[in-house]
Amino acid sequence: MLALLLSVGLVTAGVTVATRRAFDELNRQHTDALVEQFQREYDRRGHEVLNRVQGIAEAEPTVRMAIDLSRPNADISVYVNDARGVAQSHQLDFLDFVGTDGSIISSAEWSARFGYKMEWVTQKEDWATRGSFLMKLDTQDGPAVALMAVAAVRVGDKDLYVVGGERLGKEFLASLVLPENMRALLYLNLDPAFQPANLIDSTGPVVEAERFEPIIERERTHPGSLTEKINWTFDAASAEIFHSIPKLGRQNELLAVLLIGNSQRTVVTLQRHILWLAIGVAAIGILFGLFLSWWAAARVTLPVRRLAAGAREVSDGNWNTRVAVRGNDEIGQLAQSFNRMTQELVDQRERLIQAERVAAWREVARRLAHELKNPLFPLQTTVENLQRASTQNPDQFEEVFRESTGILLAEIENLKTIVGRFSDFAKMPQPELGPVDLNDIVRNVVKLFEAQFSAVGRPPITPELHLGENLPTIQADTTLLHRAIENLILNAMDAMPAGGILMMRTTQNDGNVDFEISDTGVGLTREEADRIFTPYYTTKQHGTGLGLAIVQAIVADHSGRISVESEMGVGTAFHLELPIKPPHPQATPVVVEEVHEKKVEV
Amino acid sequence: MKLRLCLCLATISVVLAGAAPLRPARRPHYGGALRVEIGATLQSLDPAGVATSREEADAKAELDALLYDQRSEDGTFVGTAGSGPFRLSSWEAGKRATFAANRDYSEGRPFVDSIEIQLGRPAHDRVVDLELNKTDFAPIPPEQARQAIDRGVRVSVSQPNELLALVFLGSRSGKEGTRIREAIARCIDRAAIVNFILQKEGEPAGGLLPHWSSGTTFLFPTEMDVRTAKEIWSQISPSPKLVLGYDSTDTLEQSVAERIVVNAKEAGISLVSRALPASGKASPGPVEGSTRGAAIRVDARLVRLRMPSPLPRISLTVFINRLGPIAGIVDSPVPQSASPEDVYYCERSIMNSGLIVPIVWMPQVYGLSARVRDWKQPAAGEGWPLADVWLDSTDPQ
Repeated sequence: MLALLLSVGLVTAGVTVATRRAFDELNRQHTDALVEQFQREYDRRGHEVLNRVQGIAEAEPTVRMAIDLSRPNADISVYVNDARGVAQSHQLDFLDFVGTDGSIISSAEWSARFGYKMEWVTQKEDWATRGSFLMKLDTQDGPAVALMAVAAVRVGDKDLYVVGGERLGKEFLASLVLPENMRALLYLNLDPAFQPANLIDSTGPVVEAERFEPIIERERTHPGSLTEKINWTFDAASAEIFHSIPKLGRQNELLAVLLIGNSQRTVVTLQRHILWLAIGVAAIGILFGLFLSWWAAARVTLPVRRLAAGAREVSDGNWNTRVAVRGNDEIGQLAQSFNRMTQELVDQRERLIQAERVAAWREVARRLAHELKNPLFPLQTTVENLQRASTQNPDQFEEVFRESTGILLAEIENLKTIVGRFSDFAKMPQPELGPVDLNDIVRNVVKLFEAQFSAVGRPPITPELHLGENLPTIQADTTLLHRAIENLILNAMDAMPAGGILMMRTTQNDGNVDFEISDTGVGLTREEADRIFTPYYTTKQHGTGLGLAIVQAIVADHSGRISVESEMGVGTAFHLELPIKPPHPQATPVVVEEVHEKKVEV
Repeated sequence: MKLRLCLCLATISVVLAGAAPLRPARRPHYGGALRVEIGATLQSLDPAGVATSREEADAKAELDALLYDQRSEDGTFVGTAGSGPFRLSSWEAGKRATFAANRDYSEGRPFVDSIEIQLGRPAHDRVVDLELNKTDFAPIPPEQARQAIDRGVRVSVSQPNELLALVFLGSRSGKEGTRIREAIARCIDRAAIVNFILQKEGEPAGGLLPHWSSGTTFLFPTEMDVRTAKEIWSQISPSPKLVLGYDSTDTLEQSVAERIVVNAKEAGISLVSRALPASGKASPGPVEGSTRGAAIRVDARLVRLRMPSPLPRISLTVFINRLGPIAGIVDSPVPQSASPEDVYYCERSIMNSGLIVPIVWMPQVYGLSARVRDWKQPAAGEGWPLADVWLDSTDPQ
C-alpha cells in the first residue's frame, strides 16, 4: 500500500512538475510574444505618430502658417484654434504648433496654453532623424505620457515646429491582442511616488493597484525586466505572475512600466486536477490492493489458517483431521504433507494399538499361563502322589488321599480365585452415580482393614486419616469407589511388608474432591511407575496386575484423574481428583499422571 | 460726455412718449421673409417659461423684443405678446418659428412680411450659411467674428456691452480671501484672452461698466502681473486648491476658464476648472452645481452679463442685483437719483471688494446677408432692429 501511495505520489509530483514547467515555458513564450507585440505596436504607433506629424508639417496649411509666421509682426492669434481641428483630422491626442522661439501658437489638447513656451522643442536636436519617443507632458487633467514626434518646417531662418503625439493609456492597451489568462497593465510614472491611480489596464484604473507598488518601486530604482508573483487571495489559483518592462524617455528617465500578467488559474486548476486524479488513482489502487490482499488471503493465508486449524485438531487428538488441498503450490504441497502426516499418525496409531493389543494379549496369556501354572503344578504332583501311593504304598493311600484331595481342593479354589479376578476385570460395571460422602467410604474401607493392619505375625501398619471437614458430596458410585480405595489400600499394604504408616487425606480443590493415599513402603522405580496402571502388570510375586488398572478404570468412569508419586525407599503416594459433578461419566478419558521421584508428567 | 448725451436722449424720448398719443406710423412696405438662424433650441416662448441656458435666455429676450412693444428698465418685457412689430404665426418647439409682420404695430408695420427663424443652429453652421447666403441674419459668437470676416461674411459688431467676469462666491473671507482674489485677478492675462480667444473682438475689462458707458478709467490694472500674483499667493499658507466653474454649454467661458487656469499655474496658484450645469438664467447659475449627480463645490465662476441699458446706473444696478447674491454683496444700492459720481463710487467699492473681477468686455456680433438693408447696430439693451430692415430682393436665393 505504501509502495502504491509512494508510486502515485512520485508520478503525481513528476506530472505536476512537468506540467508547471510546460506552463511556465508556455507563459514565458506568451510573455515574450506579448512583449514583442507590445514593442511592435509601440514601434508601429511611433511610426504612425511620426508619419502623421510629418504629414501635418508638410501640409499646405502648415507651410502657409510657417510662411505667415516668418513675416515680421505676424499675428499668431489667427492660428490659435488650428491645432485642434488638425489633430482631430490626423487622429492625434496631442498637437502643438510651436513658433521658432518655442512659444505655443496653437495647442489641440490644451488650447489655453497659447503663448507659453515649449522650450525643449527648440533645443538642438535633429528632429528629422529622431523619430518618435516617449515623453511626459502636462495636460489640463494633469501629467500624461505620450508617444511624441516633432517635425520642423523651416522658412527662412525661422522654424515652425509641429509637435504631435498619441497618449499612452488604456486605448493603447486595448489595441493589444492578449492571449487567454493574460492581461497587460501600464503604470504611468507621472508622480514622484507610486500612485495607484496611475496603474491602468484597457478599461481604466486597476483594482488593488497598491499591490504593484513593490514592482514599480523596484523599476523606479533600477529599471529592468522583472518578474513578480502576486497572490490576490489565499487561493493559489488567484495568483498572477507579472513581467515588467520599463519604458524610458529621451533622457532615459522612467516614464512607464508595462506589466504583463499571467494568470495561474489554469495551471493551478490543472495541478489540482492532476492531484485529484492521483488521489483517485491512489484510492483505486488502495481498493485494488485491498482486493488483492483479500484475494491473496483467500489464496494463501486461508489454506495456512486451515493448516493451523488442522494442526490444532491434531494436537487435540483428532488425528483424522484432513486439510483441503487446492493447487500445487507451496501451500498445496504443505497441505498434502500435512494430510500425509496425519494419515501416517493414524496409521502409526492403528499399528501401535494393534501392537499393544498383541502385547496385551501376550501379557494376558503369559500372566494367565503363569497364574494357572502355579496351581497346576501342585495339582499334577498331588495326582502323581496319589497314583504312586495307590501302587507303591496302598496302606498309606488313605492318608495320602486325604492330604492330596485337600491340596487339590485348595489349588482348585486358588484357580477359581484367579479366574474370578480376571472375570471381575472383564466385567467392570458402569458406575451408578449418586451422592456420595467420600470421607464415609474412606472410613468404611479402613474399618475393613483394621484387623489386617494389626494382624499377628506381621509388622503393624498404622493408618492415619486426614479427612477434610465439610467435604461436599460428590456424584459417584459408592461400590466402585469403595472397591478402588480398597485396591489402593491393598496395594499399599503389599508395598509395606515391614509395616509402616498408611496416610489417607481428603480435600476440596476447585470443583474437585481430592483423595490422597500414601505409604512408607519400598517405592517404585521410574519404569514401574510408568507401567503401574497397565493391566496385568505387577511388581509382586503373586499379583494379577489388575488392581491399579481397576482403580484407573473406576476413576476414569468418574471423569477423574489419578497420578502417582513415588520415591524408592521412601514410599508411594496416589492422588485422585474426583469431580463433584462428573460431566459425562466415561465420556472423558482418564488422565493418568505418574510421578516418580520428582513430579514427572507422563 | 457721451454718457450725458445718452441721458439727454433718453429723457427726451420719455418726455415725448408721455406728451403725445401714440398712433401707427406709415412706412413703406417692401415685403419678403427675413431668414434668421439662432443657436438656442427654445422650447417655448411662454413668459413664465424657464430657459435652460444663458444662450436660450438671451435668444428668448431677443425674440420677446420682436413680440412685445414695451420693456421695463431692467430689460424685462411687459404687455401682451404680439403688441410688438411682429406676431407669432407658427411655432415648432426647438426647431423653427415664423413671425409675421404686425400691421398694427405702434411704430408702423415692419418692412419685411415675416421672419423665418431656425432654432438650434450651431455657430459654425450659421457662419457657413451666412457665407453661402442661406440665411439673412444670425448672431455670431465674438470669437468667430474674425474668422467670419475673413471668409467674406458681412458682420456687424456692436460696442463691447457684454461683461465676462470672474465672481468669487464669498466662501473665503478675511485677509486670506482678499489675497486669493487679488492673486488671481493679477495673474489673468486679459490681453491674451482678447487677442487669442476673442480674436481681438472685445477689450480687457477694468470695471463693471465699459469705458464708453462709464466714461471713467480702469478701476484696477488689467495687465497681467505674474510676479505680484506670486508674491501675494506666497503669503497664503497653506495654499488652497481653488476651483473655477464655468457654464458647461458655453465654449467661450470654457476657453477663458482654461486660460485663467494656465495663467494661475504660471503664478503658482492651484486652480482647476470645472464645468457647471447650464444656468437657465441670464444671470450666474447656482453656487454649487452638480455633474452626474455629484455635487461640485466651486470657489469662483465665470459670468457673462449683457448691459441692459447704455445708462451706467441702470446697468450697474442690474449687475449688482444679479451678481451681488452670488458674491455675497449685500449692501451696495445705487439710488434712482444717483449721479455719475455716485455710480462711480458704487462701482469702485464693489471693485475694491475683489469679489467681482471683470475680465473682458465683448461686443455683440451679427452676421448679415448682402440683401439685408438698413441694418443699424442695436445699442446696449436694445433688441434686434429687425422691424427696420428691408430686403434687397424678395426672392432670396
